[in-house]
Amino acid sequence: MKALTGNLLRDGEAVFWRAGAWVPRFKDAELFDDEAVAESAEASAKTAQTVVVDPYLIDVIESDGLWAPLSFRERIRALGPSNHPQHGKQALGGEDIAALQHAHGAARSTGRVNLIKRK
Amino acid sequence: MYRYDTIDKAFVADRAAEFREQVGRRLAGEITEDQFKPIRLLNGLYLQLHAYMLRIAIPYGTLTSKKLRKLAWIARTYDQGYGHFTTRTNLQLHWIKLADAPDILEHLAEVEMHSMQTSGNTIRNVTADPYAGATADELDDPRVWAEAIRQWSTLHPEFSFLPRKFKIAVTAAAKDRAATRVYDIGLAMRRARTGELGFEVMVGGGLGRTPYLGPTIRQFLPSRHLLSYLEAIVRVYNRHGRRDNIWKARIKVLVASLGAEEFARQVEAEWAKGEPERADLPDTELARIRAAFTPAFEVLPARSEALERAKAADPAFARFLRHNVHPHKAPGYAIVDVSLKTPGETPGDMSSAQMEVVADLAERYSLDEVRVNYQQNLLLPHVRLDDLPAVHAALAAAGLATPNIDLVSDIIACPGLDYCALANARAIPVAQHIAKRFADPERAELIGELKIKISGCINACGHHHVGHIGILGVDKKGEEFYQVTLGGSGEEDAALGQMLGPALPADKVTDAIEQMVEVYLRERKSGERFLDTFRRTGVAPFKEAVYADAH
Repeated sequence: MKALTGNLLRDGEAVFWRAGAWVPRFKDAELFDDEAVAESAEASAKTAQTVVVDPYLIDVIESDGLWAPLSFRERIRALGPSNHPQHGKQALGGEDIAALQHAHGAARSTGRVNLIKRK
Repeated sequence: MYRYDTIDKAFVADRAAEFREQVGRRLAGEITEDQFKPIRLLNGLYLQLHAYMLRIAIPYGTLTSKKLRKLAWIARTYDQGYGHFTTRTNLQLHWIKLADAPDILEHLAEVEMHSMQTSGNTIRNVTADPYAGATADELDDPRVWAEAIRQWSTLHPEFSFLPRKFKIAVTAAAKDRAATRVYDIGLAMRRARTGELGFEVMVGGGLGRTPYLGPTIRQFLPSRHLLSYLEAIVRVYNRHGRRDNIWKARIKVLVASLGAEEFARQVEAEWAKGEPERADLPDTELARIRAAFTPAFEVLPARSEALERAKAADPAFARFLRHNVHPHKAPGYAIVDVSLKTPGETPGDMSSAQMEVVADLAERYSLDEVRVNYQQNLLLPHVRLDDLPAVHAALAAAGLATPNIDLVSDIIACPGLDYCALANARAIPVAQHIAKRFADPERAELIGELKIKISGCINACGHHHVGHIGILGVDKKGEEFYQVTLGGSGEEDAALGQMLGPALPADKVTDAIEQMVEVYLRERKSGERFLDTFRRTGVAPFKEAVYADAH
């Protein structure tokens, strides 16, 4: 499963693609199970140069019924810096934020998502 | 403190206006990101994980109260009310909006500051000994030379597109507080037998993926020829440095591949071709710059009774004196370290309110000067001994008086994966965790000097290679792991750290530090620092302690 992400040109905020628009929270991101559809969305996003800088696709995994970016880096983008919990999207709180915060580690290799470790 | 002349003012203002126009064109879609990115980087504006980051140059780490107050105001107005001081003595603001960046540059220009050449393949902000002008062990004020280099290198047309970034550090003291051995060019002032002052010139040091200590290519360069000789060095690099491979483009790779002797020969040949007078600074200009760095010290007694009374009455103040206060060249004065390393806080971070406290203290008690050092702390360089109790009290009230300079909790950490687009792992939480474990000041004092340096990736902004204990974050299949090195130093006894063993998972790092500290306390002989004990025993006992569980 994939999601499409990028940073807004005007302020650099991390955002996620949803049906042709950009949303700030990962929980609202459109998830692609079809690689071709994902790549088509990425190509489309790249044409809107004044909205988002360098959009790219990320791997997404299921974790306790919720989706989370596979890589630790992408989780930090979706949350904010861990040293300042009052800054970034994590300050908004909510179940989706808690799920991202509690997801720990990453799949040891692509496809083996059930091996994800929880803190 | 150097003040901009009309030329300085005009070109900094022009640059801010130019950037405003460029940002406008980018937002309007008239130029692409590929076209815009090199332009914003030349103004120190990066796009990171959560927002834009603006890196503001603090030339040779010197600030006035007016400048620091402006930085505090910018951080409060355009950011989240804090900034991060870096190992390059710059200030990074991590929550900047693109549309605000031109306004910020204009505000910086008002106080004679800018963010030019804090990124890109140019000669970057020049750094210097943070004790400059305050320590008795210097031959000259290195900031005079650092300022000359700043003026020479800023927007230098020949050196605006180097193969890679280029960093210069200057010291004029025997004790190296500027990490000159790990710079592209390190300059250390020496006195010849004739009495003439000059520089030992070290070239090709650096950290990153392939760390090197810079070899000396000239033992003594008369100081009046500094700029022409620098020109020759950078010219040889500009001509022969690799541009085909970013990982081999720094001057350290050129120097290592040619050998220091051959590189030196080429520099001397290049230097001999030119007319040094063309590039060298005229004496009149040097005198003009020098006049800006001559603080007027009062004639004071060398001993302060007020200080002695406060010291006897307050053990916390006495501890602060032991670790954060250093001798000054002028009787009756001291250099005061302002710790940005309160255990549990982010190393190098400072709130706007804290910046304002330090700005007020500098204005009132330190001849209006503040310094930033590469350990990510600030200094008040010229405090009267009589004023130390008041300065300590004000710093303590603002959470800035942790008595831990050069101790185990005085940890360097880059922003790491919490902010940086290049990082592989976080550095800040690792530092916070270690510092909290060693928060007890008595225990930290018992352990003594121990410099821990943490980088979140191989680019080594956290100087891990030269930490007594170095910690490098790596990404192992999506998880944060940390490689530990031991025995590094960025000072006059410069050395690169040695690998301890396999990388440790994040939750084992603090335990490993504690195990190594225990080994040191067990093994140390009288007067030995952690580094000395390590150099005597080698890595074996430390390795055994950390990896014992694995056997």
